[in-house]
Amino acid sequence: MMRTLNATVMATAFLLVPVSAFAAEEVSVLELVETAAELAGEEVAVKGELVGDYGFRDDGWMWTQLNGDAYVHEPIREGGLPGGGNTGIGVRMPIDLGEGLDPPGGYRRRGPVVLLSGTWKYHDPERQGESYLEVESLVVIEPGRTLPEKADWMAVTIGVLLIGAAAITWLFRPGE
Amino acid sequence: MLIRPVADDFRVIAFYLGRIFLVVAGAGLLPLTWAAIAREWHPVGSFLVMIGLFAILGVAGIRFAPSESTLNWSHGMVVVAFTWLIVPVIGAVPLLLSGHFGRPLDALFDAVSGLTTTGLSLLSDVDHLASSLNFWRHLLQFLGGQGIILAALSIFAGTGGITLYFGEARDERILPSVTSTARFIWAVSVVHLLFGVTALGLVGWLVLGFDIDRAVFHGLMTFFAGFDTGGFSPQSTSIGYYHSAIFEGVTSVLMVAGAMSFGLHYSLWRGPRRAVFANLETRTILSTFGFTMVLTLLGLAATGVFASVAGLTRHGFFQILSAHTGTGFSTVSSVELAQWGGLGFGGMALAMALGGMGSSTAGGVKSLRIGLTIKTVVNQIRQVLLPEHAVVGTAYRQSGRKHLTPNLTQSVMTISLLYVALYLLGAGIGLAYGIPLQEALFESVSASANVGLSVGVTDPSMPILLELVYMLQMWAGRLEFVAVFSLLGFLYAWALGK
Repeated sequence: MMRTLNATVMATAFLLVPVSAFAAEEVSVLELVETAAELAGEEVAVKGELVGDYGFRDDGWMWTQLNGDAYVHEPIREGGLPGGGNTGIGVRMPIDLGEGLDPPGGYRRRGPVVLLSGTWKYHDPERQGESYLEVESLVVIEPGRTLPEKADWMAVTIGVLLIGAAAITWLFRPGE
Repeated sequence: MLIRPVADDFRVIAFYLGRIFLVVAGAGLLPLTWAAIAREWHPVGSFLVMIGLFAILGVAGIRFAPSESTLNWSHGMVVVAFTWLIVPVIGAVPLLLSGHFGRPLDALFDAVSGLTTTGLSLLSDVDHLASSLNFWRHLLQFLGGQGIILAALSIFAGTGGITLYFGEARDERILPSVTSTARFIWAVSVVHLLFGVTALGLVGWLVLGFDIDRAVFHGLMTFFAGFDTGGFSPQSTSIGYYHSAIFEGVTSVLMVAGAMSFGLHYSLWRGPRRAVFANLETRTILSTFGFTMVLTLLGLAATGVFASVAGLTRHGFFQILSAHTGTGFSTVSSVELAQWGGLGFGGMALAMALGGMGSSTAGGVKSLRIGLTIKTVVNQIRQVLLPEHAVVGTAYRQSGRKHLTPNLTQSVMTISLLYVALYLLGAGIGLAYGIPLQEALFESVSASANVGLSVGVTDPSMPILLELVYMLQMWAGRLEFVAVFSLLGFLYAWALGK
């Protein structure tokens, strides 16, 4: 049932993708990071997870970060293996485009996976040399979701025992 | 004759280690409380284990090894060296249990990096890390930057404090007693904490448009890593995450404050401020900062990476300040940093190697040593050029008028050479693994000078030997060798002494 629902959501999402999103060349976040200078000023489409914060600024832009690494599809909290640092880029979009998005990814939260299309601004002179993707259109491919978290009862037990042992040792000195 | 340490020597060391571990156990209550408030239940258990281990070692040290003996110089140095070895091992437990590390050694690497305020990291997926664990990583930098021993000294006074204080690479006593000096250092830090978190929090909330709780979180993390010149960041894109010149400006103020010696802070607070600029160390750091910045900006301008002067100066200034203060924040990716090359790259590496001021939270050779080395060389040249019986002045200003004695010159040269050797050690091992010279040297200097800027060599797939060498470099670099050699000497005497 869940799978059918997901498939329907994804199919609907792709049907709603603006033409500009398909016109732009699709690149990965890693490609953008590694060939940042070569892609300067290009129209690109990038897929990934929105993470961190949504910064709604007074100038009408919303800033956030787009990650395109293995953790997008295999979060560590769901058994994904640690395989290195994140691969992310800064993105900015008009506030109305960013409003209504699911909360960004963080602990216990996989952010929305989106397809962003826009212009790659490499050391943009208008932003005093910042690099970022200026988003023109956004398609939600997968909504954000909560990741499972369980207390580590084994660690809690060991910790409490150790603290208890320390307290007893402190109170009752050997030989006293 | 080499004298083998006796049971009393071990007792006194265990006793002082025990006290310090109890202080760190107390510090561990902070992230535990944070996790409980944030309802992050998974890390709660790992913090309990860590606190339990520190507590039991602490109590054992005090209870099972009660000592009336006085802490001598050798004991103090060994206590310091052991503290900086054992605290990261236990402090790594919450990191290891988080599931964000592929192998236990990687978690230890991050704990060592945090405590030594280096900032290199092997953590996977920091963007999804629990906020309490992020807090613990950054608190480690705060504890390390202030000095764990200093934290302990602020709480318990007693004999031997002076040895412990100097063992932690601090070479000036600001106030008559070590305890009052320690408390002054904490007072300076708390004032900066209030200023830093408030300023960064307000920028995050009002300018960047973050939710207020997240703005305060980012402010606190950036303060810890900035003022203590650590360089960890709660997001993977470091300070570049914020896309804000104002945020970078406030962070820059904190980095400068962190790289200033606490003696200089004292002069700025209470002393004649003019005298600050007469100090050899102040003049040296201003000169080397200016020189390395010009180098870097010229190099970057030549590559044409930045299309605007504003972009070039903003990013060039921030990167070089981060490198020179030993912080390790960046506004560009490590991939791009590696592509800079030429003068820009050289300027950054040189700035990292030189480091901040002595008795600060920064690493590297330190400005006072650089200044004294230059003065020695200039004096030598003058001596050669002047008539044979001419007397060359040896006076310099550093918190008053002082003289460059042969003993001081020898000490300065020795430590400076040891730093160069440490830089070359990591670079050599990196080269042996096929890493290009430029990158191997950059990363090695970054580790040894406790900076944390990376061109991508530090990665979970890095060779274990290189990882161990970087850890050794971070440890020895932070302690400025004396405590490290004292520990080696102590162990040698224990093994072969009579």
